[in-house]
Amino acid sequence: MLFAGREINQYIEQKEYIDTAVVPLIELDLGAGGIRQSSAAAEYMISLTSLLERQFKGRLLLLPPVSYPKNSDRAEIGSAIRKELESSGIKHVFYMTSDVKWRSEEDLDRLLWLPAVPVEHMDPKFRQSVMEDQLRQVLPLVLEAWNASS
Amino acid sequence: MSNNRVSRRQFLSYTIMGVGGFMASSLVLPMVRFAVDPALQVEGDSDFIVTDQLVSELTEEPIRVSFSYEQQDAWYTSEVTNDAWVYKAGDEIIALSPVCKHLGCTVQWEGSADFPNQFFCPCHNGRYEKNGNNIPGTPPLGPLDQFVVEVRDGYLALGEVKPNFIVS
Repeated sequence: MLFAGREINQYIEQKEYIDTAVVPLIELDLGAGGIRQSSAAAEYMISLTSLLERQFKGRLLLLPPVSYPKNSDRAEIGSAIRKELESSGIKHVFYMTSDVKWRSEEDLDRLLWLPAVPVEHMDPKFRQSVMEDQLRQVLPLVLEAWNASS
Repeated sequence: MSNNRVSRRQFLSYTIMGVGGFMASSLVLPMVRFAVDPALQVEGDSDFIVTDQLVSELTEEPIRVSFSYEQQDAWYTSEVTNDAWVYKAGDEIIALSPVCKHLGCTVQWEGSADFPNQFFCPCHNGRYEKNGNNIPGTPPLGPLDQFVVEVRDGYLALGEVKPNFIVS
């Protein structure tokens, strides 16, 4: 499911089936040295998470990307999101990011760190196949979490 | 003075006929136009999307065929890639939608080692037979949807998605 008006009704009605949330974490760096990398990483993360959403639409709620300025306190953001999601009753939460600084956060138990692949110059077909390869790295992790809980 | 003077009465009746006729035609003509219009429309070349899949390479084993098209979502146009599970049953080409009829996940052919020869949905263990029929006792409530197919120059073309029409 997407976190969007037209899909959220189905989420509310079928809550027993939708027990997983995905939170893309995106660093915003608008400095001259970082803006290219930051925007490319954002594009990568958004397309990867939307592919994941399409694959597992019926059990997974994709939240809009959480974007934060580069100097933000990651621990604080992480714990605030975690608290909000805990109160929603969602069982599995996956945080997905290309931002290295999250790797030192111990607080989020399912943090998937994926180095951004620069896909912006690829032609659409090649890009699709690269993104599907990337997706194949993530799928087993989600399935594993589901199988462990059932 | 000429002999054929127009009387006041004649003048008024001509004027009213003229203006009235003009007004009536402005009402009637659009109606006629709208009534006839559907017959004048040129039948579009339908909404088939030609894929990269050669029909001669299809077998009895379902394979995933991807195709892309442009989708307009309000002000945002994006290139969407979609899949179909395609196989041959005798001479007939069957193309099934991969969208699970439970809550919309993507199903996989033989997605679970425990259930060979079936479509499997990893989200809530929904299962379908090869023809798309949902297996009772699993969450899906109906069979997988099906694409209308065509062959264009040897390549597979996918059309509209319809409710499954091979399961009876």
